[in-house]
Amino acid sequence: MQNPGHKLSNTIHRERGWRRHQRASRLVCCAVKLCACETVTSESVKGVMALSALARALGSLSLSASSNVAQRVRPAPLLSQTVKQATELCRYSSLPCSRLLLTVRKTSFCFGTQLQPWRGILTSAALCQNSTRWKQRTKYTIRPIGKKKTGGRDHTGKIRTHGIGGGHKQRYRMVDFQRLHFEAGKESEFFEEKVIEVRYDPCRSADIALVAGGSRKRWIIATENMQVGDVIKTSRTIGRMAVSANEGDSYPLGALPIGSLFNNLEIYPGKGAQYVRAAGTCGVLLRKVNGTAIVQLPSKRQIQVLETCMATVGRVSNVDHNKRIIGKAGRNRWLGIRPSSGLWQRKGGWAGRKIKPIPPMKSYVNLPSAAAAAGTTS
Amino acid sequence: MFKVVLHGVKSNEPMLLAVQIGNAARSAFLNYSHRRRCDVGGRRFFSVTCSLFGRGPPSRKEKKIVDIPGLERVTYADRMHFVPGLAKPIFPEWQRDWHDPHHYRGPNNEEMELHKENPCYVFNQRTKILEGVRQALWLTKSKLIQGLPEHILSLAEDPANQIEDQDERVQQAIRHSRFWDTTALRPKRDRFCPVLLRDLLHLCGTLQVKHTSLSKRILAENYRVAALWNRESDVFQVRGLNGMLLNSMTSLPAVAQSGEVLATENHTLETFYPISPTIDLQCTYVYDQKNDTGFRDGYPFPHPHTLFFTETEDSAAKFKPEQLRAKMIMFAFGNALARAKSLYGEHPQVLEHPVVVQSIATDGRLFQFIVLQLNTTDLGPDTGVKNLVWMDQDQLLYDYAKCRPLIKKKVVTVPAGLSGYQPETFKKFLALHLHGAV
Repeated sequence: MQNPGHKLSNTIHRERGWRRHQRASRLVCCAVKLCACETVTSESVKGVMALSALARALGSLSLSASSNVAQRVRPAPLLSQTVKQATELCRYSSLPCSRLLLTVRKTSFCFGTQLQPWRGILTSAALCQNSTRWKQRTKYTIRPIGKKKTGGRDHTGKIRTHGIGGGHKQRYRMVDFQRLHFEAGKESEFFEEKVIEVRYDPCRSADIALVAGGSRKRWIIATENMQVGDVIKTSRTIGRMAVSANEGDSYPLGALPIGSLFNNLEIYPGKGAQYVRAAGTCGVLLRKVNGTAIVQLPSKRQIQVLETCMATVGRVSNVDHNKRIIGKAGRNRWLGIRPSSGLWQRKGGWAGRKIKPIPPMKSYVNLPSAAAAAGTTS
Repeated sequence: MFKVVLHGVKSNEPMLLAVQIGNAARSAFLNYSHRRRCDVGGRRFFSVTCSLFGRGPPSRKEKKIVDIPGLERVTYADRMHFVPGLAKPIFPEWQRDWHDPHHYRGPNNEEMELHKENPCYVFNQRTKILEGVRQALWLTKSKLIQGLPEHILSLAEDPANQIEDQDERVQQAIRHSRFWDTTALRPKRDRFCPVLLRDLLHLCGTLQVKHTSLSKRILAENYRVAALWNRESDVFQVRGLNGMLLNSMTSLPAVAQSGEVLATENHTLETFYPISPTIDLQCTYVYDQKNDTGFRDGYPFPHPHTLFFTETEDSAAKFKPEQLRAKMIMFAFGNALARAKSLYGEHPQVLEHPVVVQSIATDGRLFQFIVLQLNTTDLGPDTGVKNLVWMDQDQLLYDYAKCRPLIKKKVVTVPAGLSGYQPETFKKFLALHLHGAV
């Protein structure tokens, strides 16, 4: 019976990384199955075949300390188990154990440009430095959560974005961007909340405010003149007349008067604010067109969204954020910004200031097309 | 447009050429992305695979397992290894056949015996309520009066009730707790705070020679109180370890007379819209409806006299003064209500003989005094007779107790040792202690 391991091990050499390891471990499993194979009667033959298969498997494994392999060493205990099983079997065989082990070493040496003589198998736990479990929390809390820094590295461990690393430790405060978020079982047309605290947030340029309403507290992005003790209103009704909105209140775009400044804009109703959240920014409501609203974002780009999308009135807090002077390189390092490469690089067409026309208006509304409307009526 | 430029590629075999072109394109792509140092969005690379554009770890799409009643899924369970064409078997959830306390999942709330439909809002020893004293007053249906009652304060002014060398002995007690009770330079707060309290109580206890009824009291620690009441269709409870309780054989006399008590009917409780009074309270659906003073029947010292709170180093237990006062009110009320229900029954009523409980909280330097008179157990409606709370807040016993002098610009601003002693605070402490015995 041709050793299945032989063919497989040759192909394994050409493969890389975790896939190679996976196939090698499958090969080891084959070796174990061989031991349990009932068709081969002689114990000694079984033992020899198992060990040679095992040797080839180990020869295909590269035991260099690459992080990819280290992370996926889940079959490592299986590996040690198979070694144990194979050695147990060879105990029962007629051939002396030492000779078998020698052959194992020889075969391993033949295939073993990758395999160091008996360096051992990695049995430690997987690296947890880059685990993202800190952000898997689903339950909302106002307690700040410890945050792991990535250093600009992605899931493979390589730098994806340069210039990020170090900086002061930060704790993440879960900010509720969905302003129209009712308390469990207390849905209504509008509700009010009181501002308890306005404080600095290390994770963003704007300040955040702790507001309490009903029996719950939550963090929201603070607006420019938000003080402790203010009462802010969140409403979802769109009346015929536009509402005279106070700063900090949140209404659907359809309820706001034209020309009002807003921040924390939703582009899909109920999804939560995604635009105009940075310090000192504000958008302008340009016009309202049958069921949709056209707004201008701080980049002067115009977009069209449904009028039921919520927005908060006023400018975002920390208005002088862009006027701050860093002053020294150290302050940038405290913010987690690493220096850029000093290598002089020939700049191509991508460099330099570009003066372009504003891109056309983007619509986030799926209006029924004229053809579809004609199809339904006819 | 991006071009694949192959330098020095000479090969007759088409397979190798394709591989070399692929490698060249791939390396060119990687070089480009490295030079740009950002994502390569905006450029189309047709000759490399889409796996290079992967932003994160490969996402595993979970296949939905559709259960069709007539058709049986053919799985590879029997084969004991993966077989490409067959479905993944679903095994029953493995249960450990012995009880492992480290891996025990308790029953759901709905399966518990004490599960109820209406939630209960529980105030425990770690609760810090947002609105502080205002919220505590609403919850206990009480009216606040600033300052302690005069007839209690007059007890300490009487020279017959004062201790010999009172001020000197109190200062010695402060020095003992703040300076002498350690081999290190200065003792920590969770050491000097209870030591000071015990020393002051000992001083007050020396008056037993003159007033024998002072001996009919006992201190109790680590007892758990439980009190339950309904307030405007919500159920509230006060539970847990609170502090050190001074129990006495005789009950405290009522502080406010019936006229004043009936006058509280006109008082309206302060609300704090938009915040609900149940904020920061622990909302639970599994609770036991019990009223328990913490002591068994037949205990020789049944009447709660004074509740003492000390501050600890535990960060979870650090209270701001406003929250600490709220906690004092709530636990004094809890003790009073449990006692009233054990004396007069569960039925909500206006009490003929109001129950009075005092409370003192300290952090070693600042003292808060509260006297609570429970006039009614009918706490459901907002109207009617209210309970009364007298409060004296933030009383300093001394200004500074410095181990090392504070020197600013070579001038001693605060000398070492005890400075700024205020005798009034201990007089109030003594007065509250003597209340009920004199």
